Amino acid sequence: MLPLELNLGPLLPEHLSEIFVGIALFLIVWFVVAKKVVPMFEATYAERTEAIAGGIEKAERAQAQAAAALKEYQEKLANARQEAADIRAQAQAQAADIAAEIKAQAAEESQRMIASAKQAIEAEKAAALRELRGEIGGLATNLAGRLVGESLEDDDRIRRSVDRFLDELDSQKV
Amino acid sequence: MNDQGQGITVVSLLLAGLLLYGGAGWLLDSWLGTRLFTPFGLILGSALSIYVIVKKMGGVKS
Amino acid sequence: MHNIVPLLLPLEGDTSWPPSAASFNSRPLFPGLGIDWVNNHMMQAVIGALLVIAIWLIFSHRQTVVPGKRQFLGEMAYNLVRNSIGKEILGSEFRPFMPYLVAIISFILVNNLFGELFLFMFPTFSKIGYAYGLALMSWLLYNAVGIKKYGFGHYMKKMTLPDGVPVGLWILIIPLEFISNFVTRPITLALRLFANLFAGHLVIMVFVIGGTMLIESGTLFYAAAGGVSILFSFAIFALELLVGCLQAYIFTVLTAQYVSSAIAEEH
Repeated sequence: MLPLELNLGPLLPEHLSEIFVGIALFLIVWFVVAKKVVPMFEATYAERTEAIAGGIEKAERAQAQAAAALKEYQEKLANARQEAADIRAQAQAQAADIAAEIKAQAAEESQRMIASAKQAIEAEKAAALRELRGEIGGLATNLAGRLVGESLEDDDRIRRSVDRFLDELDSQKV
Repeated sequence: MNDQGQGITVVSLLLAGLLLYGGAGWLLDSWLGTRLFTPFGLILGSALSIYVIVKKMGGVKS
Repeated sequence: MHNIVPLLLPLEGDTSWPPSAASFNSRPLFPGLGIDWVNNHMMQAVIGALLVIAIWLIFSHRQTVVPGKRQFLGEMAYNLVRNSIGKEILGSEFRPFMPYLVAIISFILVNNLFGELFLFMFPTFSKIGYAYGLALMSWLLYNAVGIKKYGFGHYMKKMTLPDGVPVGLWILIIPLEFISNFVTRPITLALRLFANLFAGHLVIMVFVIGGTMLIESGTLFYAAAGGVSILFSFAIFALELLVGCLQAYIFTVLTAQYVSSAIAEEH
């Protein structure tokens, strides 16, 4: 005989309805949990994660801003240094230029002064020579007149010969 | 599959092997009036179960 | 002393000695009307379901990002299922299964705790019909999920034929895997839950009913032994508390495990 009529004892439900009641109740619980409970919890978690992530993002942004500000500041500083160095170099160059110019001017001035002094001396010398020649001519004429015994003063010929004499004297002296 | 899953699979397979082939042997015995097939079925069932377990879990790691 | 049995075992069908499967019989709420299925244990299950719903609704009501005490408690319970069962076993695909896992663990847990709760003192799942019902649900769930993911043919092949089995052994292996994945799984799921609670409650009945009988025997020595027996039943109640929690957890873990194996990629 095949043992198809096994007595399952307590493994057979007292009422088959237990199975359906159990399933029905569970389905109701499942439905409520699926509709109300789990979405609520998950939404809260998502919100929380977002809040935390948002906070981190904000902090990161602040950090980035700070880093940017620092970089900017350093750049400015470097620029300022560069500028100062440029200005200094320029100033040095200018100073050198000015000094050279002043030197050149001074040299020129002294040259000019020397030249004008020379000129003045030349002029004075020429004037002195001219005066001297006149005086010497007079003296000589005077002297010759005395020697000759008469006045030679108004005589053109005599004056011309005296001049010629003096010129010869000049050229000999030079 | 994690360790827990492997344990469950092993137990489930061993049970299935014993029930299926032991049961088949027992049915044959009660049909033919012999007493040979039940132990044979039990041994075959557990052997096959172990074979499948080894196949599934990737064999013995040396 | 007559009051001990109704107090500790209020919902039992039969409290005569020795306790047996008949002790677990239900009492119809409306005897004689032909609706035996409306009985005390069914009412208990209904109350259990309502209690579960009520507790979860209270926990999830008006949540905030920064949890208060009530919400914190709810999140602890929810996180246990979410992280140590859902994420641990199902990985990144855990989210759609959360309602099922939360519902099944809390429904089983509350009904198991009824075994140690005054007024009830009876675990609903020591009535095997309820255990069959939930096991059937889990069976439907993991198969439905697998079929939805792979299609019927592919899913059956995946569940009955491990990789690398030579053709000659197919005829032996396919029934084996079929039985293993589609028959022993749900049956063991139901029986494990049922048997733990049934056996635990039977032991409690032995101590309570037996102890009461000893106390009422009139002999001093027996009465003392009966007192010890009643006291000992409280220790069993404590043990059953643990078993009830554990079985709720195991049922849920196994359900998740079966779902995971149904949707797992072949290797």
